[in-house]
Amino acid sequence: MSDNRPEHPDSGSLPEELSSPRPSDQASGPGNTRESDVSADSHTNSSSGADLYTSGHGEGQRHSDQPAKAAAHAPHAPLSERDARIAERKVASLFLVAVLGVIGFVVTFFAQEQEFGQPGNAYFTPMLGVFMTMALGGVGAGTVLWAKLLMVDDEAVQERHPFGSAPDERAATAKALKQGIADAGLPRRKLLRNSLLLGAGSLALLPLPFVGFLGRFQHKERELATTSWVEGVRLIRQNGTPVKLGDLQIGGVESVFPDVFHGTIAADSPALLIRMRPEQLRLEGEQQDWAYQGHVVYSSICTHLGCPVKLYEQQTHYLLCPCHQSIFDASTGAEVIFGPAARALPQLAISVDDEGYFIAGGDFAEPIGPSYWERG
Amino acid sequence: MLLALSVVGTLYTAVAGPSSAVEEPAANQSTKVQEGRDLYQSGCSTCHGLNLSGGAGGPSLIGVGASSVIFQVESGRMPLAAGVHQATRKQARYTLEEIDALAEYIQSNGGGPTVPEGDLNDGDLQLGGALFRTNCASCHNFAGSGGALTYGKYAPELESASERVIYTAMQSGPASMPRYGDNQLTVEEKKAITRFVTYITSAENVGGASLGRYGPLTEGLVIWVVGISVLILMTLWIGARS
Repeated sequence: MSDNRPEHPDSGSLPEELSSPRPSDQASGPGNTRESDVSADSHTNSSSGADLYTSGHGEGQRHSDQPAKAAAHAPHAPLSERDARIAERKVASLFLVAVLGVIGFVVTFFAQEQEFGQPGNAYFTPMLGVFMTMALGGVGAGTVLWAKLLMVDDEAVQERHPFGSAPDERAATAKALKQGIADAGLPRRKLLRNSLLLGAGSLALLPLPFVGFLGRFQHKERELATTSWVEGVRLIRQNGTPVKLGDLQIGGVESVFPDVFHGTIAADSPALLIRMRPEQLRLEGEQQDWAYQGHVVYSSICTHLGCPVKLYEQQTHYLLCPCHQSIFDASTGAEVIFGPAARALPQLAISVDDEGYFIAGGDFAEPIGPSYWERG
Repeated sequence: MLLALSVVGTLYTAVAGPSSAVEEPAANQSTKVQEGRDLYQSGCSTCHGLNLSGGAGGPSLIGVGASSVIFQVESGRMPLAAGVHQATRKQARYTLEEIDALAEYIQSNGGGPTVPEGDLNDGDLQLGGALFRTNCASCHNFAGSGGALTYGKYAPELESASERVIYTAMQSGPASMPRYGDNQLTVEEKKAITRFVTYITSAENVGGASLGRYGPLTEGLVIWVVGISVLILMTLWIGARS
């Protein structure tokens, strides 16, 4: 962030400022030679009295304790030949562990025979993992240890270059720009300048049609509010068979889908057919007509965040959403009795056709699933 | 000849004796029913009533069928230890013969679903898996390790359940569990589910540890706590000065 040389407050000492650090910057590269430059720099600056950084920024401090730090982390003395050989053996043994790991991995993999439906060897995957750890870990740990024990460990400092251009370059650029503006006659020709501003400014309106274009992706009228259920369509199971009256015993439950194209995979259509004793159903108003002899169908998509509500307790008639524990009472129109869901699960009107199969009386009366903006 | 006949005869009685309806059905049946009645009177009638019609805390057992008895007694849920909101699985108090006798007695009073003859574990594994995921996994978890229901109730794990208990649970719909009649899940489909449950609960843990078989929750916890800790230790080691 802060570079070693301060912004120059005035152009008075420009030439010498420029001439002194530049060449050394490029020549020195990483190394401690830079430090002498910096300290020389700070000396010249403080003598000129126009600097900010030696007084307040702590930069000077950094430079002053740099030698101490370097002493603390002085490269450790090269290992004796005997120690170096021991270290070499340590590293080499880790690399050999990697070889053993690879061999063990391959042998384990091909020694395993497994048949579908039969329990296999419980140690197969863990052994593969152990051998793979040996293989990869051996190479990795060996390399790290190599670097720690045997490689040269001295610290190199690389100074950062200032990001800005040199002051004389900046001055030259500013001068050229001013000259250009003057040459184009902008200060004098007001009409030219103002019409240019107007023309360029109007370009900002160009993307406006694209904003309007986004509106075309708006969903169709009530698309979110309707599902694949239509009047007269049969209730089918996931395997496609229709559900007949009497298939479910009291206390029974079945996942049902509309018998339409892609009905079993349509995201908005899954529902739950529940049977209880007719007297246990305590529905009100038109919802009473939507049930059939103790059978009720509710959308199985939670009105909170759309999780599948399929945990049904046949004694309490509670439906539980596994995601956030919303509880719906299936005997009273799936109204919420606990949890974050805000609305009851929509109920599907059902009846039975001539052949005794369940059919839907139409779509859900209200949008299924979680809330959305236009739901109203 | 005589020897062969007697061998065949003995074998026949041994294999088909108890279930045979040809030889002395009435006597065989009635002794078993009688035995079951005695067991019932001494062990169950306090709650369920002397004439099965229910009573002090116990529901009526008329029409619940043999499969309900097998589920409740073989899994140790009945007799109930205390008046709790959900019967827990315990060591069974009765032998399998006694359970059969009890089941026979209940079955003779009002009928109800019974366990089919033959191996309950010979269904189609793949079909069982599909049906399990559709009908059972929402409560019992995809690997049969159970899960929470409302207000402290729970769906039990299925590993400790015998084949008969798994099958009769679907038939009888005990406690919170919905009931799956033969029109909804056929005998073959129930056998397939039984096969899948016994397979999935006894399958080896490919990763070495089951972590409760609760899926991403425990697995993620282990990855974060153990995996990340190991990674941090490794970076500390790499970065440390020797």
